[in-house]
Amino acid sequence: MSKTRPSAVIATFILCFGFWLLVTLSLSPRDLVLGAVVCLGAALFSARFFIHEESYHMYNPARIFRFLYYFLIVFMGELVKANWDVAKRALSIRVKVNPGIVKVPSELRREYAQALLANSITLTPGTITMDIVEEDEKVFYYVHWIDVSETDREKAGEAIKGRMEKWIRRIWE
Amino acid sequence: MSMGIRVIIDLFLLIGCFFALAGVVGMLRMPDVFCRMQSSTNIATLGLLGILIACFVYSAWKGMEASTMVKLALVGLLVIGTNPVAGHAICKGAYKHGDRPDNPMVCDDYGRDESDED
Repeated sequence: MSKTRPSAVIATFILCFGFWLLVTLSLSPRDLVLGAVVCLGAALFSARFFIHEESYHMYNPARIFRFLYYFLIVFMGELVKANWDVAKRALSIRVKVNPGIVKVPSELRREYAQALLANSITLTPGTITMDIVEEDEKVFYYVHWIDVSETDREKAGEAIKGRMEKWIRRIWE
Repeated sequence: MSMGIRVIIDLFLLIGCFFALAGVVGMLRMPDVFCRMQSSTNIATLGLLGILIACFVYSAWKGMEASTMVKLALVGLLVIGTNPVAGHAICKGAYKHGDRPDNPMVCDDYGRDESDED
């Protein structure tokens, strides 16, 4: 367990306080002071779990903009395609599935990037990440896939990750 | 004008209901635990998003307070943030517990690597 760093506490505090402002949507002094106290307490307790790397990495307008673009355009596109595919499978007369678990390599290094890719894969219907392992300094994902059309690792990776991995690398690295 | 907005709201509601229905039908019809999990993701993504967008347009159209709209956006954000973690945990838990499909899977790299380590 790493120690609590002051910069990590500040970064967590900013995020918590932004969330507090969104939920309360009020600028009265009472709410602001109460929010600051609560957020400081939460940040002190949770900073060492929440931030393991550079503290202010994401507080960068270019990164936030790329993240929003990824989330609203790239990811939503993949989501709609995958949703339609799985809905078609569920509603067709004979349920046509071809499930399997494939091992997919990834080139992402940072923890948050790996987590974001894993969550993106899980959130698209048809694929669920089951585990992330590191072997010989390479990162592998075990992905349960509803329609295994390709058992070769590289090609399966391209089919599953699509454009998402490229964009996540652009956001974080 | 208001007719057009009404149509847009109904359209998004229909999209949300359609994907929620497809998700539930899939959950009942799919052959094994893992495929059922796949189908249930339908409900939490496009099913929920369609209905949330409809609610968002409705509240903007009726001139409701800004806090209502912000809270709708936060609902979407929180569900999208937490749903994949739960799905991953359920899937891995089912696998570790020993659930396997009746028809063998096309390929099972996870099981193969696990048995190598033993």
